[in-house]
Amino acid sequence: MIQLKDIVVKFGDFEALHNINVHVKEGEFFTFLGPSGCGKTTTLRTITGFIEPVSGSVSMQGRDITNVPIEKRNIGIVFQSYALFPTMTVRNNIAFGLKIQHCSRAEIKERVDRIARKVDLSDEQLDKAVSQLSGGQQQRVAIARALVTEPAVICMDEPLSNLDAKLRVNLRNELKKMQREFGITTIYVTHDQEEALTLSDRIAVFNNGYIEQIGTPNEVYNHSATEFVANFIGDINPIGRELAQIMELPEDRNHYIRLERIGVSSKSNEKKEDKEKKQKGVFKVPGVIEMQEYYGLYIKYYIQAAGQSLKVIEKNDGISIYEPGEKVTLRLNPADVMSY
Amino acid sequence: MQTMASETSMPAPAQRKRHRNEKDVISGRSHTANLWKIFGGILFAILFFGFMLLPCMDTLTSIFTVRDAAGNLDPLAVIRFFFAGNMPTFLWNSLKLAIVLVITVNVVGISIVLLTEYFDIKGAKILRLGYMTTLIYSGVALVTGYQFLYDQNGLMTKWLAELFPGMNKSWFTGFSAVIFTMTFACTSNHALFLRNAIRGIDYNTVEAARNMGAKPFRVLFKVVMPTLLPTLFSLTVMTFITGLCAMSAPTLLGYNSINPEIVRLAGSSTADEAFPQARAALLSVILALFTVILLTVLNHYERKGHYLSVSKTKAKLVKQKIQNPVANILAHIYAYALFIIYMTPVVMILVFAFQNWGNVRTKTIDFSNWTLSNFFGNQDYVYQNWKGRDVTRKGAISGVFGNESTVGGIRLSFVMSAIAAALACVIVVAVVNYIFKNKHRKRSRVAEACMLFPWLLPTILICYSYRIFFNSDIFAGVRLGLAGFGEVQGTTPSVNLYMDNVRFLIIMAYTVVKLPFALRMIKAAFYAIDEELEDAAKNLGASPLVTFLRVKLPIVLPSVLAVFALNFNALFTEYDMGATFAKPEGRTYAMVIQSMCAEEGRDNMNMNASGRRCAATVFIMIVSGLILYLVYGVGSRDLAERIARRDRRIAKVKAEKFPARATLGLALGLAGIASFVILSMQLVGMAAAGSLTVDPVALLFLLGCLGLGLSIAGTVFSGRGRRNPKGRAIGIIGMILSILGIVLSAAAILVTLMILMGNPGSVTETFLSVMGFLKA
Repeated sequence: MIQLKDIVVKFGDFEALHNINVHVKEGEFFTFLGPSGCGKTTTLRTITGFIEPVSGSVSMQGRDITNVPIEKRNIGIVFQSYALFPTMTVRNNIAFGLKIQHCSRAEIKERVDRIARKVDLSDEQLDKAVSQLSGGQQQRVAIARALVTEPAVICMDEPLSNLDAKLRVNLRNELKKMQREFGITTIYVTHDQEEALTLSDRIAVFNNGYIEQIGTPNEVYNHSATEFVANFIGDINPIGRELAQIMELPEDRNHYIRLERIGVSSKSNEKKEDKEKKQKGVFKVPGVIEMQEYYGLYIKYYIQAAGQSLKVIEKNDGISIYEPGEKVTLRLNPADVMSY
Repeated sequence: MQTMASETSMPAPAQRKRHRNEKDVISGRSHTANLWKIFGGILFAILFFGFMLLPCMDTLTSIFTVRDAAGNLDPLAVIRFFFAGNMPTFLWNSLKLAIVLVITVNVVGISIVLLTEYFDIKGAKILRLGYMTTLIYSGVALVTGYQFLYDQNGLMTKWLAELFPGMNKSWFTGFSAVIFTMTFACTSNHALFLRNAIRGIDYNTVEAARNMGAKPFRVLFKVVMPTLLPTLFSLTVMTFITGLCAMSAPTLLGYNSINPEIVRLAGSSTADEAFPQARAALLSVILALFTVILLTVLNHYERKGHYLSVSKTKAKLVKQKIQNPVANILAHIYAYALFIIYMTPVVMILVFAFQNWGNVRTKTIDFSNWTLSNFFGNQDYVYQNWKGRDVTRKGAISGVFGNESTVGGIRLSFVMSAIAAALACVIVVAVVNYIFKNKHRKRSRVAEACMLFPWLLPTILICYSYRIFFNSDIFAGVRLGLAGFGEVQGTTPSVNLYMDNVRFLIIMAYTVVKLPFALRMIKAAFYAIDEELEDAAKNLGASPLVTFLRVKLPIVLPSVLAVFALNFNALFTEYDMGATFAKPEGRTYAMVIQSMCAEEGRDNMNMNASGRRCAATVFIMIVSGLILYLVYGVGSRDLAERIARRDRRIAKVKAEKFPARATLGLALGLAGIASFVILSMQLVGMAAAGSLTVDPVALLFLLGCLGLGLSIAGTVFSGRGRRNPKGRAIGIIGMILSILGIVLSAAAILVTLMILMGNPGSVTETFLSVMGFLKA
């Protein structure tokens, strides 16, 4: 659907993107993830045509669109600020693109009404000024405006970052639902890894103008290709030298293990896994509970073991409850370790 | 007073969110785009070099190109003259005026704002309106209004002399008069900005200070005043410049400050005194130097940043009660005394606008005798000459709208200020758009600096420079070219840019003078355009032109219209610049009124000049008041507010049990038609009796206006009332009737106007004369 080949973008002397190669498939929900300033928005703006690459090519459906002007690319955008026109009503905002295309009045009305129904905007809301709507409603207007011209691709630049936490989760689900419904190829930019993991079919993780890894959420999370990805996505424990020796890991590399991959048990709370005598290759390490952070759904423990502090997640199921100072046994499987 | 207005743009615009040094993708449009760029660049260069830099440089150099009696160049002659003669007096007088004005304006301005905004004074709303009256009449209108009341024959002086028999009746001349007048004239603007600043104070800080044990006055001086300091500083600098560059008050009240002297010298000839033009130039340059220094100081200070409120949840200021009863009573007395000072001229002007010339002359109010002759009159004055024979002076008692010169002045001022205000807006919008497109390039800063250039120069210097520059030898070549062109065209060849194009030059001067103010205001408005909006429009397929017209322009339009209205308002009543040009073709409205007053009663002409001036001021007050209401009342509502208001209105209409609005609309429409019927019956009756005299017709004119107003209100109300299910039919009938009323009233107004402006003879004759007048 969309293919970026060896894209290089420069701002003056600064090279913002180095040889970016991405292939987004038809109907896919594809996310650009990375910290701020990593080049994800620049890549998006190169696709939409706001930025001209120094070298490389952008093609859509097999056609080279590198030099096609913005307005002829047929790519919809939902902006971070939504960029709704403040001097127009909601209806006129949505109709803007259709008016530019010189559609007939009847057609404009019909198409605006149809898309408004799909994104759950009422007739009353259509006649309001943009500023009279709430953040979530404004976002739906922005989506409707981007979709009404029936673009081949829709690009979203951090569309949820202006909303409060609860609304963000709600709209995230709605967004996914809508995307599935419309079946439209979506390119999504975010710095929020949770958002990326829940929404995407595939993720490209950006860092300093390079792509570190492209993969499904599971691949990116559990098989992070680089040290940066491992650290950037989710929480992770670096494994110190002492523990690495215990676990017989090679010394010339850096090792990491995810929090939920470490098992914990204490005398008062012996687990099924402990009773199974022979677990292949699992190392048992004694430790002491240092501190706990209570999250409700789960509890994060800081455990002092093998001369370092390890973070461990335990489901708040009423069984795995430990007090600070309590002696515990940690179970670590080298198969869960990511090494770089 | 004009410089004060520049401060409207004071709040520093917020920094844009994201820096973008991405190049816009250039597609096939580059060719035409380049042509446009070249075209715009040439226009800009002509504007900057032709109408700003070169004329002013010319003035500057003229100081050093003076020739002595033998015809030798003597570069320092003017400077020597300056130190030898009395020229420093003018400079000193201006400085004295500026310094004292800064003190008085700050004292009055701060007290006004504290009384209406900070302390709990009864009737603060009405007080505030009174204190703001000098916003609707300024410059010459205000000065002459004060003069009318306070000079030695003035009404107030008479009353005061009765109260205090020993007082000096001619107190209202020179320095004291100028200070008195300008203090009240400048304070409205001062208070306007200070009010915004005090409203920006976070009340929680006041509460916190009180909570920590500070007494109210301590809070005022330690918490409130420091936050006002930046605004006060800016206002002080602007007031200083206003005082330095004062023109109308010193001229009219007889005070020898710099600007009146520049105008006098500019119009003087070498036969009467030594190199007057070069001396005028030197004085202008001195004024310019002061302005430059002060503005640099201000700019430097502003760049250091303001004390912005750090709080995100601002609490609204609650008015403080003055606890001490004596202080409270004194504050009230002070507030209402100021109110009386502000309101007396307004009320008196209003009253005398409707008094006949005899009463105006003797400054007595006759409550039983009112007249419209100062507005619409066109009467002859009959007197006996020294031989005892009756002599008739045609049209010696004529109104603002009944007098060819004043109507001509109104028309000229209207056209010139409208063109100049519009031109300034168009130029500035184009330039600001360019500045934002090239934000990170040097050229945008250069363009901005060029636009702000006129700010560095006193208004008078610009006009004076035009007068000299376009009348000078530099243009010999251009003149020849124009002459040749003219011959080819077969018309009179244009040989002198100043002599033959003075109206054009005045328009250019008006435009140039208003550029800096327009730039600051409109630039602030452009900050409201999110860059992503532009991207969004492009992404949806809009070309740059469509993006500009349909996305960007609507956002900045309210500000642009406000700038247009404010500039028009200021230029329409402008006196100083027109006076500097001093050409009969450029006799602006204010100049006409002014010169007529100077000749009041001479040769038994212009018998009612003072009354006419009052009427003119009333007219200006109405126009300015309307403009200010439209700009600040209606124009500042955004789409959401408009829609919310409409929705509330519709909901109210729909909830009506009895279709009140529709009925009201119908009634108003009927009233509009009724007033037309009365009017036309009266008119026909008078025409039949052959007694179409001015005063009754003027009354009929007002009746026509009333009918028009009623009918317009009728359409509004019946249009709204139509939405009520029961009021549908009534509303529609009301609308039809009201529209009919509008048409009929408009026609009636036209007919009465024709009669008023022409001879009260036959209607056909009048019509023809009016048409002839309009064509001329």
